[in-house]
Amino acid sequence: MSDLSSRIARGVRSRSATRPRPLFRLRQRTNTRLWGVAFILPAILFFAVFKYGPMLWAIGLSFTSYDMVSPPRYVGLENYASLAGDPVFRETLINTLVYIGGSTALITLVGLSLALAINTRVPGARHCMTLMFLTNLMPIIAVCLVWRFMFNPYGLVNQLLHVFGAGRIDWLTSSATVMPAIIIVTVWRFAPYFMVVFLAGLLAIPSDYYEAAQIDGANAIRRFWHITLPQLSPIVYFVIVVSGLLCARIFLMPYIITDGGPGNATRVLSMLVYETGFSYLKMGRAAAISVVLFVISLLFTVGQMHFFARSEETFE
Amino acid sequence: MSPTTRLPARATTRRTVLRGIGVTAAAASLPHRGFGQAKAPIQLGFWTYDNPQQRPWLQKRVKLYTEQNPNVTVDFQWFPFGDLGKKISVGFATGTAPEGFVSQDWFMPLWFDKDLIAPLDVQRLGYGSLDKFQSDFAPASVSSAIRDGQTFGYPLWFYGYANYLNTKQFKEVGLDPDKDAPATWDQLGEVAQRLTIRQGDKFVRQGFKFAMHSAAWTVIQFNPILLGAGGQWFDTSGKCAVNSEAGVKAMTTRASIAHKYHAEDPADSIATNPLPQLDWLKERCSMFFQLPLPPVLVEKENPAMASGDYYRPVQYPGYVAGKGISSTYGFNLVINARAPKEKQEVLHDLYRFILSDPMDAWKAAAPFPLALKGGWTEDPLVQKFPHVEEILKARDNGVPLPRCLVYNEMADAMHRAIQSILLEKADIKATLDTAAAEIDRANEAYRKS
Amino acid sequence: MIRRHAASVLPGLIRVAPLAALTFLFLLPILWMTTTSFQAGDKMFKLDTEWIPAVWHPENYAAALAAAPFARYFLNSTIVSSSVMLGNVVFGTLAGYGLAKFRFPGDRIVLLAILGTLMLPLEVTLVPTFLVVHALGWLNTYQGIAGPLVIDAFGIFLMRQSIISIPSDYIEAARIDGAGELRILWRVILPQCRPALAILAIFSFRDSWDQYLWPLTVVTVDRLRTYPLGLVQFGQDYGNPPTEQMAVAVMATIPVFLLFAVLQRSIRRGFGLSGLK
Repeated sequence: MSDLSSRIARGVRSRSATRPRPLFRLRQRTNTRLWGVAFILPAILFFAVFKYGPMLWAIGLSFTSYDMVSPPRYVGLENYASLAGDPVFRETLINTLVYIGGSTALITLVGLSLALAINTRVPGARHCMTLMFLTNLMPIIAVCLVWRFMFNPYGLVNQLLHVFGAGRIDWLTSSATVMPAIIIVTVWRFAPYFMVVFLAGLLAIPSDYYEAAQIDGANAIRRFWHITLPQLSPIVYFVIVVSGLLCARIFLMPYIITDGGPGNATRVLSMLVYETGFSYLKMGRAAAISVVLFVISLLFTVGQMHFFARSEETFE
Repeated sequence: MSPTTRLPARATTRRTVLRGIGVTAAAASLPHRGFGQAKAPIQLGFWTYDNPQQRPWLQKRVKLYTEQNPNVTVDFQWFPFGDLGKKISVGFATGTAPEGFVSQDWFMPLWFDKDLIAPLDVQRLGYGSLDKFQSDFAPASVSSAIRDGQTFGYPLWFYGYANYLNTKQFKEVGLDPDKDAPATWDQLGEVAQRLTIRQGDKFVRQGFKFAMHSAAWTVIQFNPILLGAGGQWFDTSGKCAVNSEAGVKAMTTRASIAHKYHAEDPADSIATNPLPQLDWLKERCSMFFQLPLPPVLVEKENPAMASGDYYRPVQYPGYVAGKGISSTYGFNLVINARAPKEKQEVLHDLYRFILSDPMDAWKAAAPFPLALKGGWTEDPLVQKFPHVEEILKARDNGVPLPRCLVYNEMADAMHRAIQSILLEKADIKATLDTAAAEIDRANEAYRKS
Repeated sequence: MIRRHAASVLPGLIRVAPLAALTFLFLLPILWMTTTSFQAGDKMFKLDTEWIPAVWHPENYAAALAAAPFARYFLNSTIVSSSVMLGNVVFGTLAGYGLAKFRFPGDRIVLLAILGTLMLPLEVTLVPTFLVVHALGWLNTYQGIAGPLVIDAFGIFLMRQSIISIPSDYIEAARIDGAGELRILWRVILPQCRPALAILAIFSFRDSWDQYLWPLTVVTVDRLRTYPLGLVQFGQDYGNPPTEQMAVAVMATIPVFLLFAVLQRSIRRGFGLSGLK
């Protein structure tokens, strides 16, 4: 390593001494350009085969009826029409949107709050952060099983609430509480990760901004609103988009904790894709549901882009 | 072992030739080993569902067969009860389905509709004719397998649900398990009410419990109530009829234990019990509808109950006393229609071997009854099994599950409906209307494709 | 001197108390899982939480391992997750480097296209990806389980952001000096990216370790099941008490936590938190 760095240093020093001929430079530029393409090529090929290819295939499949035993049969918009008229699909769609909205908002708020709490000069804060981060690493299947037991009417959650005088809450079997329960698990799992992301952002804000504001007489709330938030704005955007995409694709939590129940109360689109395709063997219909899920993710991402582009202008 | 390696020319010495003759002579002189004559290596896939007594016994029989027929290797796979049908469907769709499998009898119409299973040669199974084959099984058990003068399944197990009572708890509250065993649905509710113990809003003991954990059990438990109320799953035109007046009556009965008699807590153990009957085994409920209960299960979970022998099965209640019916269902050994001929032949021999020793099945999996009618029920070992007559009665007097080409969708729709009604106290007629509409839509979609 | 210590430690403890309480609340489920895994099966069903079991039952672990081939399942998961982690690190770095330091026509579009795949997770492309893998003959194979996970846009983007901040002069100088591109990557770029590599490694490992839906779709034979499939079936099968399920859950948690412990400092630096006291 030291050998190379000294050679680099020598190269830097000797660059002005030797002036390479123009032809050599051109060949080298083309050469490096080819290398650049070569480095990216595996990823491009991979995504063509495993992402874009399948997405195009899904779009194509969504216009067919296909049970895999016989060849696909073209049916036009029938899958979409049938989905529009299917109460189960409509409920599932609403569940997914509610879940995405609720979880994303809470993850962002809780993540930011946790980051602010860690960012105080409290001794041991760093260790608290590391410990909280563990919830993001715990295997998701373990998370689901544990919370399913904890939300049992006689489980830990109710036991703790009982201490505060609450009665029995049927978390997982009452449609009023079941979606909040799943959202609680989601926030528990993801907020600590975004806490760390927010924390990095908070640490990057130059402390002179705050010092200047304090000299000017601004209180904590004004400092937060006029310094912290605008500085964090790109990170907030990142957190909302990434957590939104994570929530859109959620499968295991509702599947293991409630299996979509009670009734349809926690059925989400990814579960419907799996059931329709692999329990009922309706691949075309499942593809149509996938397309809907994709459109939701797309609209969400694009919508966030617009919102943040505009709000960034206001803060500047 | 394989003769396919190419030998260099000079290796074929006289000694090699002599050795080759010697090996062949030795092989030819081996006695015929019972079932299976093919000598070329055969690899088979065989799938079944999991059950703590049935599956290990089946696995043991298959292993015994492959020991006696070393050229046959069987890749034995099993899946949870509710998953097997789906896995087989996907397997057929992807060309990875096994050569042989156990089919739950309610899936037979689907395999027929898509020509996925092969007709069986009853002669190879040891029967002179189809009639002789048919008469060896209870009619209800073999009817799902027979079509167009051929059988497509070899019935393995066949049984029905019974109402298992905790007789000790009966006596505790002053009831007589013989006289007071509920014979009608109203009696079930009343008896359950007397057996229930509550502490505030917490159930210490539920008088009765319906299993709520899987769509398969939902249909099995609801089936006899619906049919007993005079209802049916599908009317003559094929439209779903669970939302008829009789259907609403049946569902009201189903919900009455929890809602009218307050003897059941549908919410408490959903999805936390690995054993459906665990609450009953742990004496947290006094009565439970379940499949025939092996004593080993009781010994494992509640040794006191096993040694005290304070439980017994009785027949399902009915709307009229004495007219209780249960759901009966069975499992057939079937063969993948796409399996090559030699493998199909070996599977015949394997199946024949599996069912060649009914008492072995009883010893391993009592009291699960085989579908075979005779030749074993009179055996003293069977006769002295406690309350075996109730179990055999449930088997012989039950009604089969609905035959439906979209069974998975139907079961899931009913499961959702029952969850809504029991847990959310949703309106019964409206919920059943929704379920019937879902089932009709699924049927419609299947017909179109 | 001791009094001074007490005076300076106590206010610190008081100040951290709310945060510590919050942390403890967050960790409750993990603690509950661990403590339950040592309880008797029966105790579990009463659902009264006994934080320190009166009687410890470490045999739950042995019983779980004996009841189902979890050793095999964990081996399968390890093989798959290690491959995915390796793939992500290698190809993510290559592509990230290419996108960060090389200009060629269409590089903007390629970057957008790669980021676009974040909207195409397996849950969305499940059916056709299954058909692709089936067409490749990869059902019930390790490559079938790991294949679609081996490169991820998150990793590429992470490495790109990390490599962009490396001064291009070093690279130019090394090129002029005659160093080959791969040598530059190995000697100049990689050592500067350790924090990002650490983050990429832990998250790609964890994501693949967590996978359930995709292996469920692709695997039908028992010998290739990954541990999530095994654990879910374990809970559905007869008679496996939740205490044993928790034992398996604990066993599944340990590898990820260990990897995190090993990479902790680099991960903190990678997040930009080295300034945190």
